[in-house]
Amino acid sequence: MACFERVSPALREILTRIHRAERPIEVDHHVHEFGSVHYHVKHSVTDSVYTYLSVSTPLLSSQGLPISSQLLPQHTLEMVNGIFPRVMEALVPPNEGYQLTLKLDISRIPHDNNKASTKMISDIASVQSVLVSNQLKEILKSVDSQEIGHGIYKPIKLIYHPREPFFVIKQPAKMSAIFPMRFKEKEDVIIATTFFQELMDVGSTEAFRKAPHCIWSPIPPAELRGEPIEDLSTNGGFLSFDITPQHVQGKKLEKTVWNLLNVYAFVKWHVKSSRGFVQRRMRMRLDKLVQPLREVENEEDDEQRETRKKKNKKKKVDGGCTNVRKWIRVSKKKILERNEELGKRIRSRIKIRCFSRLRRKWLRMPKFSPVTRYMKLE
Amino acid sequence: MANSLRLYLTCIRNTLDAALCLQNFPCQEVERHNKPEVELKTSPELLLNPVVYGPLVLICRNEAEKCLIETSINSLCISLKVKQSDELENILTKKFLRFLSMRAEAFQVLRRKPVQSFHTFLMVVGYSTVYYTQGYDISFLITNYHCEDMQKQKLIEFIVQFMEDIDKEISELKLSVNTRGRLVATEFLKQFI
Repeated sequence: MACFERVSPALREILTRIHRAERPIEVDHHVHEFGSVHYHVKHSVTDSVYTYLSVSTPLLSSQGLPISSQLLPQHTLEMVNGIFPRVMEALVPPNEGYQLTLKLDISRIPHDNNKASTKMISDIASVQSVLVSNQLKEILKSVDSQEIGHGIYKPIKLIYHPREPFFVIKQPAKMSAIFPMRFKEKEDVIIATTFFQELMDVGSTEAFRKAPHCIWSPIPPAELRGEPIEDLSTNGGFLSFDITPQHVQGKKLEKTVWNLLNVYAFVKWHVKSSRGFVQRRMRMRLDKLVQPLREVENEEDDEQRETRKKKNKKKKVDGGCTNVRKWIRVSKKKILERNEELGKRIRSRIKIRCFSRLRRKWLRMPKFSPVTRYMKLE
Repeated sequence: MANSLRLYLTCIRNTLDAALCLQNFPCQEVERHNKPEVELKTSPELLLNPVVYGPLVLICRNEAEKCLIETSINSLCISLKVKQSDELENILTKKFLRFLSMRAEAFQVLRRKPVQSFHTFLMVVGYSTVYYTQGYDISFLITNYHCEDMQKQKLIEFIVQFMEDIDKEISELKLSVNTRGRLVATEFLKQFI
C-alpha cells in the first residue's frame, strides 16, 4: 500500500544489520506492512555472500479487483534490475507467493562510506514503492489507447484497495485524477469536507500556481458520466487533480505519481489526527472549566477556617481554665490513649539515664476502682 | 461582549437569583428518601411555577440559543442549547459537551445526560400535525445540598461563566481545526512543486 514514506523502515533496519555484521548471521524474517505488503528476507551463514529478498504487494489493476498474484511485466523487472545492477538481480521465476525475488550482494555495498551505504540500502528498501509507482506511470502513458471518440477519452478505473478505486482521465491539455471519497462516520465526512475546501482555497492562491489545480465537488463530475452507480455513490464527494505536462516532466513525474497514490492515506491521516487533536484539547480545557467551581469550594473552606479561628480565639480569653477542665472531665479511655501517646513520644525522642525510674514513679497509669468489684454483704 | 449576549446572560443571572431558593425536603412517597423533586415531577405541588418569559418556558437569545430553567422545592434544573451555526460547530459542540457530561463528577452540579424537554410543540406540516420535542445540549442539576456547600452567588457566576467559556471554546476549536486543515493542505500541495 502506498504511504508517505517510500522506504520500509523494518526492511532498512534488517538490511543494515546484515551489512554491518562483522560475522555472517542467520536471518529469516517475514515482515508484514499495512496489512497487504509482505517481505521475506533470508540470509544464511552457509551462503553468506547473497541475501534473498522477496516482495509481495497488491498491484494496481485497471480492470477489477487488485492483483496480488500476477507476475510483474518485463519492463518493470528491467527497471528494478537497472537500479543497482551490480548489487541486486531479480530472479525469474520469483519465490512462490511473491511477485518479486531479489538476489542481493550486500558485500558490494561500500563499508567505508556510511552515507553512500545508507542511501543504497534505503533505495533497496523502497523497492515496493518503485513497483507500485512504475505501474501507475505505465498506465498514465497508455491512456491514449482508451480513446473512444474524437477528443473523448474513457475514464480508467484504477483499484489498489478494493474500497478505494480512483479514475484517471486524459483530456486535451491535461490529465485528471478523480478520487471518490468515502468515510465511515459523519464526523469524518465533515472534517474531510472542511479540509477539501481549505485545499481548494490554498490551491487557488498565487504561491501554489504551479501545483495541480484541485477541485472538490459533492456530486460526480461530468467526466464520470456513464460509470457504474456503485462507483459514484459517496458521502465525501469527489476530489479532482488536474495534472498538466509540467507536473510529469523529469523528476516531478516520480513525485506526482507518489502523491496521487497517497491521496487517500493522506486524507485519512488528517482526519484521524484532527480527531485526536480535538480530544487532546478538550482534556486540556476540562481543568480550566472546573477551576471556578473548585475556587468556590476553596473559598468556602477558607471561610469556615476563619470562623473556627475566631471561635478558638474566644476560648483563650478564659485564661487556660478550659484546658484544666478538659483534663478533669476526660474519660478513662482518653487517659489511656494520652498516656500511650506520651509514652511513645518519650520512647522515640528522648533517652535519658534513670528516666525510666522517674517515668515508672510519676507517669504511671492511674488506677481506677473497677466498677465490677463489689463486696458481698452478709 | 455583544449587547444581546450581555442581556441574555443578565436575564439568566437574575432568573437564577430568583429561582435558587432551595430547601431540604424529604421525599413524600418513600420514607427516609431525599430526591430532587425536579427530576421526579411526581408531586405537582412541589414543582414551583416555571419561570416564564413570554409564552414559552424559555429564555431565548435567538432561535438557536435557549435556556430552560425548571424549579422545585429542593432542586433546580438548568438546560442550555448552545449556538451551532454550521455542521462543523455542530459536531464539535456535540463532542465537547458529551465529553464534559461523561465527566460530570468533576463538575458536581452537571447532569450526565442533557434534558430532552417534555414541552412538545405542535407544528402543522401540510395536512398532518407533527409533534416536535425539543432537546438541549447540556443540563445542570443543583440541589439544596449544593446550595449549603457553596455560595449561591458564586454558583450563579459559575453557570454564567460556563456558558461564556463554552461558546469561546467551541469557536476556538473550530478555528483550530480550520487552521490545521489549511496547514496540512499547504504541505500537501508543496510536494507537487
